[in-house]
Amino acid sequence: MKQTSIGGNKRKAANILATTGLVIIFLAYMFPFVMVVINSLKQKRDIIKSPFSWLYTIKGLSFDNFVKAFTQMDFLNAFKNSLIVTVSATLLVTLLAAMLAYYIVRHNNMISKITFALMVASMIIPFQAIMIPLVSIYGGTLNVLNHRLTLIFMHTGFSMAMSVFMFHGFIKGSVPIALEEAAYIDGCTRRQTFFKIVFPLLKPIISTMVILNALAFWNDFLLPSLVLTDKKLLTLPLSTYSFYGTYSADYGTIMAGLLLCVVPILILYIILQRQIISGVVAGAVK
Amino acid sequence: MKKSAGAKGIAVILAAAMAATMLTGCRFGFASDPDDPNEEVKEVPIDTSIDTFVYDSSLQGTKITLLNSKAEIQVALEKMSQAFEEKSGVHVEVMPVTDGDSPYTKVVSMYNSGTPPTMAILDTTDVIALAEEKAADLTGEDWNAEAEEYLTEVNGKIYSFPLCIEGRGIIYNKAVIEEALGREFDPESIRSLDEFEELLETLKEAGIEKPVSLAKEDWSLGAHHLQYIYETYDGTSEGAQGIIDEIKNGKLKLDTYGRLGEFLDMFDVLKAYNVAKGDPLGADYDEMAIDLADGKTAFWFNGNWAWPNLAEAGAEEEDDYGFLPYFLNNDTDDFANQKIQASPSKQVMVDGQMSSEKEQAAAKEFLNWIVFSEIGQQMLVKTCNVIPPFINNPYEPADPLSRDIYEKVQSGGTFNASAIVPNDHWAVLLSAMQKYLAERSDREELTESIIEYWAEQK
Amino acid sequence: MRNKNKGKDFCMFALPGMFCFFAVVIIPFVYGVYLTLTDWNGVAKVKNFIGLENFKGVMKDGQFWTSLGLTFKYVILVVLLVNVIAFLLAYLLTRGIKGQNFFRAGFFTPNLIGGIVLGYIWQFVFSRVFVNVGEATGWKLFGVSWLSDPTKAFVALVAVSVWQLSGYMILIYVAGFMGLSEDVMEAASIDGASGWVKMKSIIMPLMMSSVTICLFLTLSRAFMVYDVNLSLTAGAPYGTTEMAAMHVYEKAFTSRQFGVGQAEAFILFIIVACISGIQVYLTKKKEVEA
Repeated sequence: MKQTSIGGNKRKAANILATTGLVIIFLAYMFPFVMVVINSLKQKRDIIKSPFSWLYTIKGLSFDNFVKAFTQMDFLNAFKNSLIVTVSATLLVTLLAAMLAYYIVRHNNMISKITFALMVASMIIPFQAIMIPLVSIYGGTLNVLNHRLTLIFMHTGFSMAMSVFMFHGFIKGSVPIALEEAAYIDGCTRRQTFFKIVFPLLKPIISTMVILNALAFWNDFLLPSLVLTDKKLLTLPLSTYSFYGTYSADYGTIMAGLLLCVVPILILYIILQRQIISGVVAGAVK
Repeated sequence: MKKSAGAKGIAVILAAAMAATMLTGCRFGFASDPDDPNEEVKEVPIDTSIDTFVYDSSLQGTKITLLNSKAEIQVALEKMSQAFEEKSGVHVEVMPVTDGDSPYTKVVSMYNSGTPPTMAILDTTDVIALAEEKAADLTGEDWNAEAEEYLTEVNGKIYSFPLCIEGRGIIYNKAVIEEALGREFDPESIRSLDEFEELLETLKEAGIEKPVSLAKEDWSLGAHHLQYIYETYDGTSEGAQGIIDEIKNGKLKLDTYGRLGEFLDMFDVLKAYNVAKGDPLGADYDEMAIDLADGKTAFWFNGNWAWPNLAEAGAEEEDDYGFLPYFLNNDTDDFANQKIQASPSKQVMVDGQMSSEKEQAAAKEFLNWIVFSEIGQQMLVKTCNVIPPFINNPYEPADPLSRDIYEKVQSGGTFNASAIVPNDHWAVLLSAMQKYLAERSDREELTESIIEYWAEQK
Repeated sequence: MRNKNKGKDFCMFALPGMFCFFAVVIIPFVYGVYLTLTDWNGVAKVKNFIGLENFKGVMKDGQFWTSLGLTFKYVILVVLLVNVIAFLLAYLLTRGIKGQNFFRAGFFTPNLIGGIVLGYIWQFVFSRVFVNVGEATGWKLFGVSWLSDPTKAFVALVAVSVWQLSGYMILIYVAGFMGLSEDVMEAASIDGASGWVKMKSIIMPLMMSSVTICLFLTLSRAFMVYDVNLSLTAGAPYGTTEMAAMHVYEKAFTSRQFGVGQAEAFILFIIVACISGIQVYLTKKKEVEA
């Protein structure tokens, strides 16, 4: 990516300007997160009186909040639960949504059209509107609540629409049909074509969708709270309940708990960010 | 796949860093100074040596659930359930209502999912909404006799167990007042609105510019302030119900109702000396506790549940905090100027629709255990730190706010009037109250809003 | 085409995903719509069919229509700001700026903070930091908490939403820019196409699918705003920032008018479906297939 061309100086100046602007906006975006990190090390009184300061805290910085959060959340168990649910549901929805989207793009029939339209429309349904019907059907009628599998299934179902929508756009825009036709001529079946030719081309969007879905599953509160009641099955966000009182909240512990919860997602993001780039590199070779 | 190996490396390093943080965190925590004022409140020992409660052995092995909507006693309830299981063999699973869910929504969704909690801790209005449809009849349970004044009846039957008494009023910090006045302060000496206003003025002259904290929160403005107009009708739940009915069916014109005007007189005084007068809707709840503990203010309109906040802010159990009444006028004989409102706010309902006979029996045993066993009595007061409504409970709460309410209950210094208003009363009228607090509306407009609200309730 | 494989293709590619989707979303939704036609209150054992009675209740609920009007205003602002900001930032972040991975991770962080913490931190910024700035500088703009003035509280709500949503949309736009092949970009610069021209005539058409997606997502999320609304302002001051979704929830569970709440949710759904349907139709038309 060489940027040198005619009018290099002008280019350079523009670049510096853009970078400076970027840094300022960047700081604004990061600010709340930094606040969480700083305040997770402080006692509540200090958080309320002087949330910004590192140094002027009366009671000093400590990892006490992390210890408290770690033990009160039963962190390892909740972590395990979240991991199982998030990984399974993410894999499931990524695979199923990619296949469904592929089908819809390549088969322009009534089923495709109706399904796609329904999916687009369904993304607008406020969750609160189907909350009660959902538990009546799955709990009252089918009696399958309080299982991890039910939660995984529901996560998959709820994120299906958006995932298909995203894959649909990407396949339509960036997967040339010519490649597939060439594969058929070489004697590939539909399945082989999809998994060997199409799927690898989807890498950038897969990485994006994995992050978005994993993030949503990992942090989701409302759906797991409806599905899971057994303490042994609680996921991370559910396990922070005891930090919130009716009249006030234990902010230090909440922020420490939040950080413990999000670190895995940040790691995932950093890993997948590389994938997005390597996906593009692979795409360029074609 | 070199790239992904690199990524793996990063992941491993990050995970290791996280683990290391946690480990050092642990060491930090356990090695911390035992005298640290921020340490968790020391656990109060429970004496389990005496236990004369008779357990029903046929219930052993029963598993029941308790939905808890009082988040601050979640850990305490878990300890209680553990103690109960050791003795009775009945397992009580305590489930929290979590942030973002209202207790009612949670119960409704649990009923719909076919797995309602065997017991649910709910607000009185929720119990009344659900009682006849879902709850087990608890009339005639042994504990009825121990809490006669605090029972809630629905069409002559009792469907709920009063878990605790909560009182509210004007919290004062005695040390701060005495320091400003330079003399002893006797809370009993303030008996009317004028005397209260005079005290505020004196404090102002003594350097405490704005001695009152007023919360902007919905439950405070919309419920705890405003509902005085119903509760102080004659200081009983029946009276409150009567006046609400009259307002509802239009017999009583609110603009001619004396208590409303009196309530606003008091509210105006509080408003005038509000520490956040410049921006009353920007006031921060947690900061109010700190202000009161530090002596920046001397009064805070709140209830005995505010103790944990004050303790966090640095108040000690030995400090002198207590309640003044919500003065309504200058008639020193008016009960409203003498007594504190204190009533059972959280109730336990037992499911009578889907739970088995045995589960219901186990739930009833648990409730009786709280009232009659030596262990249950102690744990309700010492572990949960609530004010028990049961007259046979010999234990006294430890923190000054609860103690003050407790003593006032014992000496007849409280009135118990639960105003049962529609569930959205506080949420809808909050707007009107906030507007009035921020001086964006006048008495007429506020009164109009309340009249309008009731007109829609027919 | 390959007709004999049609059925097999359908079963293998489409059916599993469709099953999950229909079982979890569509069936409960249909059941929910049915509930709007009954007098069920959420707990009663019996449901009586009452026709359109609940919808009459919606007509009478003035607050619902007020909140809907406010929501429209909010949506327009949020959709425009989010997409412009996210598109530009994503463009900058895929042009090989030094440390762009680090930057991208930073722009991602708004996604990590939700619920009460988000509300707390931003409340703090608007009611305390701003006020401190106001005291120091004497600027009237920062004199009192933004959250206690109706207009400024609304602006605050928009700002926080833009902050959070754009973090999400950047991710999608970045994926879109990454999907554009380098040849396209290089060809564009060799031809001497610069800046605006390049953006308008080469990049935009190829980015249309990302634009469709992001517009749609911001549109629907902005209409459905609930979490931020609740944790930042909760409708304060005096109910002036209560958006439609929050009102619907309050109606169903706080005012205990389950049927009316459910009917309002349905009406909201129809409105948003129409608007975003038009949007998707218009922008999809501009997409080009690779």
